[in-house]
Amino acid sequence: MSTLRLQVKVLVDGDCRAPLYLYNGYVSFFGEVDPVNGLHRATGEGISGKAFAFKGGRGSTVGSYVIYALKYYGKQPACLLVEEVEPIIVTGCVMADIPLFQVEKGFLSKIGFKRGLLVHERGSNYVEIEYE
Amino acid sequence: MFLTREQERMLNGEYGWAVAKAMAIIVKTGEVLGASRLVEISHAHVSGVSYTNILDPGLDFVRRLFLSGGRARVYTTINPGCVDYSGLSSLIDGSFNEKQAVIDESLIRMGFKPVFTCIPYYHRPPSQGEFLAWGESSAIAVANSYYGASSNREGGPLALAAALTGYTYYAGLHIPENRVARVVVRVDPSASRNPGALGLWIGENIREIPLLKGFNPPLWDLKIMLAASAASGSHAFIAVEKITPRGFYKVDPLEKVEVEWRDLEKYIGLEPSGGSVLGYLGCPHLHPWEFHLVYEYVKRRGRLPGRNRLLLTIPLEVYERYRDKVLYLRSLGVDVAAGTCPVVSRLTRRFDHLVTNSGKAVFYLSKQLKINYYLTETRRVLEIVYA
Repeated sequence: MSTLRLQVKVLVDGDCRAPLYLYNGYVSFFGEVDPVNGLHRATGEGISGKAFAFKGGRGSTVGSYVIYALKYYGKQPACLLVEEVEPIIVTGCVMADIPLFQVEKGFLSKIGFKRGLLVHERGSNYVEIEYE
Repeated sequence: MFLTREQERMLNGEYGWAVAKAMAIIVKTGEVLGASRLVEISHAHVSGVSYTNILDPGLDFVRRLFLSGGRARVYTTINPGCVDYSGLSSLIDGSFNEKQAVIDESLIRMGFKPVFTCIPYYHRPPSQGEFLAWGESSAIAVANSYYGASSNREGGPLALAAALTGYTYYAGLHIPENRVARVVVRVDPSASRNPGALGLWIGENIREIPLLKGFNPPLWDLKIMLAASAASGSHAFIAVEKITPRGFYKVDPLEKVEVEWRDLEKYIGLEPSGGSVLGYLGCPHLHPWEFHLVYEYVKRRGRLPGRNRLLLTIPLEVYERYRDKVLYLRSLGVDVAAGTCPVVSRLTRRFDHLVTNSGKAVFYLSKQLKINYYLTETRRVLEIVYA
């Protein structure tokens, strides 16, 4: 078991301790995420209760409502980790009170493992990832 | 963030719960995006109107803002709903009529203009230099790239919040220094003829603000390209040489690329051979001028043959103004739906193939309907449904 400590920009703060789901691509929450079942349609993976890491947002401005709907249906991710920030995701996370962190560009391409546990404590400016 | 006394009073609840909630969304989003102040807007366009898109959580949110006194403080238009407002379409599923009516009533009584269209610039073309808070990714890109009025890619709730306060955060594309094109894209004439595929390519391959050279289409084709690039990517602004007002952006190129037909081939799918075909035009909604062109073509060709269907989606006002033409088209088997589209609604039946000029429609519908698609130019769509 190793631990990676990563400086992040905390955009929406909050505690997070959750299994990591890495997706090295962009996500349109509208169309590509099913809010009722908490699924990322591109891979079929569940995002509910996970630390969902992806490159950034794309697509529809309805995405904010989909993030809000995830929370409403109790299927929200524990936190989001992105390389690029955009208003649609920020507004969704602000409304749904889902922690949102930004990491440096290229993080998802460089990272050498697939699974891990992401931990962030409110007030700190880093996340720790425990992986095998 | 610096707030004026009025803005602070809004945030503190002196204008009621709805305004305070709206202000909190704007201020928090703005702080995250590095804004130091707010800016007054001249037009809000609210996306996230369709019930099948926002479902009960969105409906509750909109309803609560209305019931607690939220009212438009600025000119505001709204995006398409999930039902056909002409009531004549047999392809758009009307079963969510009641839920949609609750959303519509809330929005209309908050004082928003019920245009139900994704081309708000048809109702009020922005003038250069205006500040806007628009949802609807395709319209935002048109506002910036064609009109030289600035809007960020506001999420639906933020555009709604801006309508209730008259403000948005001052960051992103509102700041002239951020409107710098970094990638010069030379568009080969072979790539210009399919604006939908060109947009999908730009969205997937370019992250910085591009400057397009050699692409000089009318607004109708430009909106197709911009809508596609805002779906497969997150482009709010694409500088287009000879179209985007010159003072609106600067160019500081780091990279030059060329795009030609063979780059786009992977986006066009397969031309149908056999099976039922849904031809679709109107994503984004048809402007009256395009509607008339399609009308003339259909009138010349007559009744649609076989099992093929053609769906047109138009702004509600275009239906109201050209009702006779819409009815005539329907008598020839063409389905015309007003104030909605298949991306924000559900279809009543299945088809084997979707044939469209819209890269945006392909991006979303190929995921929703798991359908074969063919992305081509407008005229070819019509030829295929009449073949």
